[in-house]
Amino acid sequence: MQLTYLEAIRQGIWEEMDRDPTVFCLGEDIGIYGGAFKVTDGFIDRFGPERVIDTPIAESAIVGAAFGASLTGMRPVAEFQFMDFIGCAFNQISNMVAKTHYLWGAPAPLVLRGPSGGYVHGGPFHSQNPEMWFVHNPGLKVICPATPYDAKGLIKAAIRDNNPCIFFEHKYLYRRIKGEVPTEDYVVPIGKARLAREGRDLSIITYAAMVHTALEAAEILNKDGIDLDILDLRTVSPLDREAIAQTVKKTNKVIILHEHSRTGGLAGEIAAIINEEAFDDLDGPIVRIAGLDSAIPFSPPQEEHYLPQVSDVVREVRRLKAY
Amino acid sequence: MATSKKTKSDAKHGSNGHRWRNGSAQTSKPVANSDLRSYSIPDYRLEHPDLTVRQAIEKGKDGAEHVRYEVEGNLNAPVPPIRDSKYLDKKQCIEIYRYMLLNRKMEIGLENLYKQGKVVGGVYFGLGQEACSCASAYALDKDDWFAPMIRNQGALLVRGFGASDMMMQYMAKADSPTKGRDGTSHFGDIEKRNMVSPISMLGDLIPVLSGVALGARLQGRNIAALTWIGDGGQSTGVTYEGINFAAVQNLGLVLFVESNLWAYSTPSEMQYRVKDLAERAIGYGIPGVIVDGTDACQVYDAARDAVERAHRGEGPTLIEAKMMRMKGHAIHDAAAYVPKPMFEFWKKRDPIARFENYLVKEKKWLTPKENAELISDVERVIEEEREIAVNFPMPTPESAEGGVFCEDGCHEIKPKYSIPKVKKGTGGFKQTEAAVHLK
Repeated sequence: MQLTYLEAIRQGIWEEMDRDPTVFCLGEDIGIYGGAFKVTDGFIDRFGPERVIDTPIAESAIVGAAFGASLTGMRPVAEFQFMDFIGCAFNQISNMVAKTHYLWGAPAPLVLRGPSGGYVHGGPFHSQNPEMWFVHNPGLKVICPATPYDAKGLIKAAIRDNNPCIFFEHKYLYRRIKGEVPTEDYVVPIGKARLAREGRDLSIITYAAMVHTALEAAEILNKDGIDLDILDLRTVSPLDREAIAQTVKKTNKVIILHEHSRTGGLAGEIAAIINEEAFDDLDGPIVRIAGLDSAIPFSPPQEEHYLPQVSDVVREVRRLKAY
Repeated sequence: MATSKKTKSDAKHGSNGHRWRNGSAQTSKPVANSDLRSYSIPDYRLEHPDLTVRQAIEKGKDGAEHVRYEVEGNLNAPVPPIRDSKYLDKKQCIEIYRYMLLNRKMEIGLENLYKQGKVVGGVYFGLGQEACSCASAYALDKDDWFAPMIRNQGALLVRGFGASDMMMQYMAKADSPTKGRDGTSHFGDIEKRNMVSPISMLGDLIPVLSGVALGARLQGRNIAALTWIGDGGQSTGVTYEGINFAAVQNLGLVLFVESNLWAYSTPSEMQYRVKDLAERAIGYGIPGVIVDGTDACQVYDAARDAVERAHRGEGPTLIEAKMMRMKGHAIHDAAAYVPKPMFEFWKKRDPIARFENYLVKEKKWLTPKENAELISDVERVIEEEREIAVNFPMPTPESAEGGVFCEDGCHEIKPKYSIPKVKKGTGGFKQTEAAVHLK
């Protein structure tokens, strides 16, 4: 069945709620309104107000309540209206939820999910990619799917996982991409990357919306005879070290591409992994393409300048290829 | 899963979104002017201390000026009696008294371990707050949950942990409940004793305990979920979020606000402006009551009322317990900033001395001999627990690794009470094309 990225996520949560009575949803405006992006549209009619809970505008309470419920063996799925607001609940996530299994052995099977990412002119508070705040928090799984297939398979895997999972849905992809999604039950394993494109000349390691940017660049570069290997990480914590090393060993040149700010970004961590796992295989410097070290500006020309574009990828690939 | 018809239990367990806004449950009396509302906060205390603390400039011996706290009010007020409990019988009173003694003697034991250099880090005391920690936890039923704050170590004893658990935590031993990974009362047990581990940040347990009650309700059980917050901790934003969530969802949160007058070195006058923190309950639309936190009977009665309210599915309760923290923030802090007369005033209101007097002299439920035996038995227990705790080894360095995630087979996740009964509407899955926030 062809589904949009949003529908795939929606169907994934729906099926899990259908399958498992311990799964329930909570968040702002997710009930009768169906959520700001309609991911839970129709859920309240199907599953009732007990399992589709509209909360006060209180992100710490949402996460705290989800965590508390998870301690009683429930599997809550909490929505952030925009992932930018996850900062309001940072202490609950970082100090309460993430540390709980390591410190006192209590599993916290909960999912925190919501839309993130730019390219929709949402401005500085509706366009962020705050995944790195959580990659630096041991105890959390951080998931950033790029395709409808992965989005559905990973949301189901996250709901079934016994650990706290933060699920970043790229809002630019919500209704822009469609893909084949099986009708039968399946999950995509957390922590495993996939090759979005196989090539031999140069690797691009990326995830979420940037996978599509890299794929577009690959089409242009293909005409020049440059063949890109594109690794879609799918999960940014824990990282698939093996897949990262493999692509570098194959092409010997690598670009890391992400939307969020360059400094302290995921590219730095991946560069360190390459250094540890495949240093001798490198035939050129590791190149980063990332957002600027500033807030994401609102005005379209500014936002476009801030965020990586296909043209940036094409330029950097040519530069590195010539190195 | 079969769809179930609407049953009686659905109504009993409550749901969200179907209640009329009722303001404070204590509200009621309509007044002549309909623009005015009246609220009441029941106050079970037998005295109302009127002490206030403020900053004043004091000249030192060297002639230099220093800013100090000074206290005003009737520092010679007579000590009130213990209020007879509506619920507790002789046996229960003695049991609570014994827990309070265990609580205090355990902390004296911890102080000694600290002085012997065996404790890693500091020691936190609940001196003067034993009635509040013990009598409140005593009001819980077996299936209820709790999450103690740092001064509620007595509550852990009531719920079945040993003093050796706490002592091993403080000594960072390999066999401490967290296996050396955290200290103090920072541990939990979701299997048997239904305790959520506290974290050092204040107020965060309140939404979590609300969520525990939510989880139980989805499984068809109305439970009570007890936690505590200080007059300092309640200043945090998450306190508001957590109580409000419980109020809106009508969850069985039982929140003790321990007004112990000092938040580290800051007096309550600099934490909040309302006269009594129980007044905050009005703003949440939930019942609020005030008790004397040094009176175990008052603490128990208010806690039990709140627990039963929670079991009936009637929602959260905020209980303000008034008392004073009788030591510094932790063992390193001599609390020199507290005006001496305040210590003297509250020392006369020592929860254990007063309860002892009540049981031995007033009620004659314990003979002096029985009381002496009970005390020496508690001391013996603490000594035994101390012996167990000190003899455990320290953890290996490598034990710092692992356990970050719940891996396969590490825990089985299953509903604590029962598999939730779900009802399903007839609507199947339909794709949505509705308007969205940002395209």
